[in-house]
Amino acid sequence: MSEVRCLNCLKRFQVPQNAETATCPHCNTKFRISWPALGQAKVRGLA
Amino acid sequence: MMERILFIDPEKCTGCRLCETACSLRNEKVLNPSLSRIHVAKWETAGLYIPVVCVQCESPICQTVCPVRAVSRDEKTGAVVIDADVCVGCRLCALYCPFAGAQIDSKKGKILKCDLCSGEPVCAKFCDPKALQYVKATTANMMKQRAAAQRFSELMKKMLLTP
Amino acid sequence: MVLNRKIAYINLSTREVVQKPIPREMRTLYLGGRGINMYLLYNHIQPRTDPLSPENVLMIGTGLLCGIPCLGSGRCDIAAKSPLTSAVGDSNIGGFFAPELRLAGYDHLVISGKAEKPVYLWISDDEITVKNASHLWGQDTFETQTMIRKDHDDEDIKSIVIGIAGENLVRFANVRTGMKNSAGRTGMGAVMGSKNLKAIAVRGTLSIEYAHPDELLDYCKEMNDMIIGTRWARAQSKWGTMIIYSNTNTTGLIRTKNFQLNRFAEGEDLEPENIDRYSFGTSGCYGCVVHCRHRYTVKDENGETIFAEGPEYTSLGAFGTMVNCPKMETVLRANHLVNKYGIDTLETGGLIAWAMELYEKGILTDEQTDGLKLEWGNEDVVYELIRKMATREGFGNVLADGFKPAIAKIGKGSDYYAIQVKGMSNLHSDERPTPSFALGIATSTRGADHLRSRPAIDLYGLPKELLEEIYEGPVSPDSTSYEGKPRMIWWQERLYAVTDAIGTCKFQTVFCAVHAPQWNEYSKLIQLATGMELPKTQLMDVGERIYTLERLFNLREGFTRKDDAISERYFKEPTPIGFPNVKGKTIDRKQFEKMLDEYYTLHNWDSNGVPTKEALERLGLSKEPSHMI
Repeated sequence: MSEVRCLNCLKRFQVPQNAETATCPHCNTKFRISWPALGQAKVRGLA
Repeated sequence: MMERILFIDPEKCTGCRLCETACSLRNEKVLNPSLSRIHVAKWETAGLYIPVVCVQCESPICQTVCPVRAVSRDEKTGAVVIDADVCVGCRLCALYCPFAGAQIDSKKGKILKCDLCSGEPVCAKFCDPKALQYVKATTANMMKQRAAAQRFSELMKKMLLTP
Repeated sequence: MVLNRKIAYINLSTREVVQKPIPREMRTLYLGGRGINMYLLYNHIQPRTDPLSPENVLMIGTGLLCGIPCLGSGRCDIAAKSPLTSAVGDSNIGGFFAPELRLAGYDHLVISGKAEKPVYLWISDDEITVKNASHLWGQDTFETQTMIRKDHDDEDIKSIVIGIAGENLVRFANVRTGMKNSAGRTGMGAVMGSKNLKAIAVRGTLSIEYAHPDELLDYCKEMNDMIIGTRWARAQSKWGTMIIYSNTNTTGLIRTKNFQLNRFAEGEDLEPENIDRYSFGTSGCYGCVVHCRHRYTVKDENGETIFAEGPEYTSLGAFGTMVNCPKMETVLRANHLVNKYGIDTLETGGLIAWAMELYEKGILTDEQTDGLKLEWGNEDVVYELIRKMATREGFGNVLADGFKPAIAKIGKGSDYYAIQVKGMSNLHSDERPTPSFALGIATSTRGADHLRSRPAIDLYGLPKELLEEIYEGPVSPDSTSYEGKPRMIWWQERLYAVTDAIGTCKFQTVFCAVHAPQWNEYSKLIQLATGMELPKTQLMDVGERIYTLERLFNLREGFTRKDDAISERYFKEPTPIGFPNVKGKTIDRKQFEKMLDEYYTLHNWDSNGVPTKEALERLGLSKEPSHMI
């Protein structure tokens, strides 16, 4: 699991390793996810 | 055999010189990097930074050349120390040390030499990128082995991906 | 003695050097660095002085705490009347110069007049000499530093230098040290150039004393642990300031194609992790555990491999998003070029982006641009224009004086497209969705600027209670709201002023990290290092005093409320794309004016932004200029 910040509602949430998309559990916005550094997820834009 | 050593990894050094600042502040009670026992040698236009400090030899060259037997080993820390009261300032140790571990202190007419801050070297304490670490010899060996293994494993990965 | 430090006055016309002690009172009122510099600015420069004339005065000021082993304490403030804006000229530089100057015996330098021929100042353990620099004139910023070290056979010499941009009086030329450290904004390099001052070289082996050295050492370790313990600093230590890009570009807060878009959709390669292809490690300034710049190699525009440091978030905008160049490689090359020439990365990128939009709109033609095709994404044009601006060649000469003169030359409504305040370019941030940021750039005393007062934590959606605690009053946690934002700006202005006065790095206080050292920590550091007792409220007053003096300087130069303004485009053009909370945003004119009113009131300035008699009395500024030093 890796933690990211939702860029819509700004709350943090967990993303499973290597997931390609993830949905913020607080505001339901769906994001594309990338993994630039080992184990660290990054929000890439709206899915 | 020493319990801990000041392990230097120049590849990690970011050139911040916190080691120099902390050293002079702790040991001379002022800010003066030229009185620091440790220095970062920099090749700025190549981005190369190498910390240089006494490596606390097992058979210290400074001890061998000292004509007045001012050099001894601190049993507690394992550091090679120079007794300033005995030292006559002949600077033979500074001349012979290949690591620039003994430095000339022109202000006091003596020698500046790292004594590992009585067992809690502040340079290592302040070094965030871990270019300086005060660790057991076994730990130092383990870190070097794993770093070497990692490089080897990256090479293996490349080889396995190449037809 | 701890606070018995010196200031030197150097007249380059007469070669006279006078040393004086810095009075204790100056420390209590202004601390050092930018604080004392602003006092000198107000007291030593006559109103309406031509910034490129010998009558302008250049101030070099090391921070009060410069040298302590924490918080990137190696910073130096460089000030003069700005040739770019004719307002407060002021820029901060890191690297290793300032501690060396202090070790050589001087905390502040005041440089007036003009040398007959190119010279450099050589300062070594209490001695100041004016030396011939004719062999250095024409050299780039790297070579100049190398040559000075060779001349004195000492690799430990630190120099601040100008490149050919400064020599050519490009009004946004910068002052440089090391591979990339720059006093970038407001054209301080041009002021040096106008004085025929190529460099200031220092080597110091004297000691700096502290009031409580042992406790200071321990507390400094605590401070370093405090900053590197924050999420922000840990990310910054890996990716540099480029880390900001991931959030702001994804959200839609980045100027693209000058100001036409607010997100660079093709800018995938500008994401910070793409530096990995080029970088072999990071490096840092004096006393810094964050070490936020990369050491990288790349093939330059001629195919030769070069070593460089950086790049900053600013350069991702200057040579990436604003000019629509999608490659990290472009940024890496252009970053090195501007460092080499000694020209401000931000101003250069901002002007090129503006010129590209004018070209697109037909306001600039091939005839005017020396046949250069100023098309979006044309990286060769970017490199060529950097060179032409630094050398004042052809069309580069039109841009080399900055926005206001270029607008006057080009005309044809080019003014509308310029994203600048008081004549200085804005960062590549798009403030249309963020009222606090918009107010910040409008009111910054040195023109459009993201470092005078940016409340970056406004973007974090922090709890209301935490924000109220930090900013000492109600502020909205919504970055798109206008509520309470003037209060944020007012607080940050004072914090950054004090940070610049003590000489530590802004990234190691409440800028992008929330739980970073701030007022109380500064207070304790000052007490341990100097013995001075300056509790938080008094420190905040120091910040207010510095900022108010800057305001007085600008007012004296003729600036008014109408100059606390942002481009019309903020009000007229809604952000076209981005996340739901940033898309379709403009700044509301009425609300903006209301924020400005509130901001003035918080400062106790009248509705024209003029400090009231009461405000000046409270800060001890009623008798300025008071000529204490």
